[in-house]
Amino acid sequence: MHQWIRIVFPKSYMDCQRRAGFLFVLPALLFFGSVFLLPLAQSVMYSFYRIAPGGASQFVGLRLYEKVLTDSTFWVAIRNTVQLLLMSVPTTVICALAVALGLNRIASLKWRNVWAAMYFLPFSTSLVAAALIWQWIYDPTYGFLNYALSFVGIPPQKWLQSLFQVRPAIAAVNVWFRIGFDTMIFLAALQSIPEEYYEAASIDGANPVRQLRHITLPLLNPQILMVCILELIFNFKIFDQVYATTQGGPASASQTVIMLLYDTAFKYFRFGDASVMAVFVFITLLVVTLLQWRIFRKPVEY
Amino acid sequence: MANLPETRRVLVPAQASTPRAALTVRRVYFRWLSALAVACGAIMIFFPFFWMAITSLKTAPEIQRVPLQITPDHWLNLTNYFEVFKREPFMRYLLNSAIVASIAAVSSLVVSSLAGFGFAKYHFPGRDAFFLAIVGILMVPFQSVVVPLYTWINRLGLLDTYLGIVAPDLVSVFGVFLMRQAIEMIPNDYTDAARIDGCGELRIFFQVILPSVKPAMATLLIIKFMWNWNEFFWPLVVINSPKMKVVTMGLMSFTNMYFIEYNLLTAAAVISILPILLIFLTLQRWVVQAVVMSGLKG
Repeated sequence: MHQWIRIVFPKSYMDCQRRAGFLFVLPALLFFGSVFLLPLAQSVMYSFYRIAPGGASQFVGLRLYEKVLTDSTFWVAIRNTVQLLLMSVPTTVICALAVALGLNRIASLKWRNVWAAMYFLPFSTSLVAAALIWQWIYDPTYGFLNYALSFVGIPPQKWLQSLFQVRPAIAAVNVWFRIGFDTMIFLAALQSIPEEYYEAASIDGANPVRQLRHITLPLLNPQILMVCILELIFNFKIFDQVYATTQGGPASASQTVIMLLYDTAFKYFRFGDASVMAVFVFITLLVVTLLQWRIFRKPVEY
Repeated sequence: MANLPETRRVLVPAQASTPRAALTVRRVYFRWLSALAVACGAIMIFFPFFWMAITSLKTAPEIQRVPLQITPDHWLNLTNYFEVFKREPFMRYLLNSAIVASIAAVSSLVVSSLAGFGFAKYHFPGRDAFFLAIVGILMVPFQSVVVPLYTWINRLGLLDTYLGIVAPDLVSVFGVFLMRQAIEMIPNDYTDAARIDGCGELRIFFQVILPSVKPAMATLLIIKFMWNWNEFFWPLVVINSPKMKVVTMGLMSFTNMYFIEYNLLTAAAVISILPILLIFLTLQRWVVQAVVMSGLKG
């Protein structure tokens, strides 16, 4: 407290400097406070109140939680989201790692950049555009995918219109969209590993597989962890792709948590219920991120 | 130790040359194989773009041909593009997106570089706690705060306005983080020297700090513009009137649950992607740097 008084009423040159520093930071603090922290607190608050359309609100305790958390549509959305996650996160991370290792082996800098740029291209598009292009490729009658599969003798599939294929199909779009981002992160990390490590290892007789296992992967551990967390968050929040293509269908087979939140809040205007979901999403992501961080974070020895 | 792989001995220089030659051949072979796999993957990733461009050059009857025909009948058939602008005020959508993304990028640059300077070069009480709090905001998904934000924007009468669309994107955590990182690299001697010469703190910021962090500033501008150009969720919430729609929402006007004219949709998609693609291809180095920065922080 004493320090703050001295900043508001500076006595010395150093105090003035501290005040200047604080003033530089202030706009950002105000912004994040009013756009994230305050609304987050309000979300928590809304989740305990029933808000009538007129604006009158009434404290209902955990009633809304009970209502949402016992609603089967909510759990269907959770199940779909988790299934999507389980399909797309490991695929993206493993593919990205493989691509980064492959790119790192390409000696010609020019070609390496060309291929890397191609992997990275989807990242520059909007998810809406990406999903709509894929919907066209997935089209059951005129789509390219069924056409290509017909050469291998696979009959036309319904993809986004099928109860069972819709989730893998959307997961594939996520993989396609995110693979370049993860590859870039891995590639940058790979290039920062000193060449001497591999020379020393090969003199000691380690074959490439063992080099990968004992040098590359342990040194990439922080990036792998980071990418896993980012992918998890990205895939948990999946919305644009689903909204643009299936709108949660067919028969809510692709209904995701954020889709449900959006519909509840801005289609049916049940802000209380939506706030319960918002709090749920926040807490889930927080817990999962912290758990992942605690479990997998190992000190790396250089 | 008995069945160590052949490679172990081969790599020792004094060995006979035949196994080494075999190994080298195998290694070159493997190198080519992995390069081939990378190239095939890249082409697969690229394919949807190719397919989008091809479809946008076809007419409606052409895309419904069975069996499917890969190439368009006329490579210079641009009627779909004209049709997109005729059907929807697509120029307006592009303009809206450009305005929103520019405001977000510039305001983010200003606020982030100020905050980055404050965090990197001053010792005020609670500095580290504040910084941690800002980084902690990365953990708050935007969807968790969207309902109260919507009620605020509604109450302030900002629904359907540019300010309402950019409001949550005016500053990003990533920007603050990036600028702090960059400004920290500047030696304190520079700022001290400026102070001794009688420079005020703001003048130090403009004349000493900003000129030394131009690359970081460029990176932030580009990535922020890209992000906001592609933004969909928040505009969907705050925009009602057709003339305020941004380009991602404009794309949705070409979809319909029952019948989608993919030739028009893909043309619209090409138009919406093209500006960002051009920025991306010319300034790729900065974008990649931004991504790497966002991933390496750990």
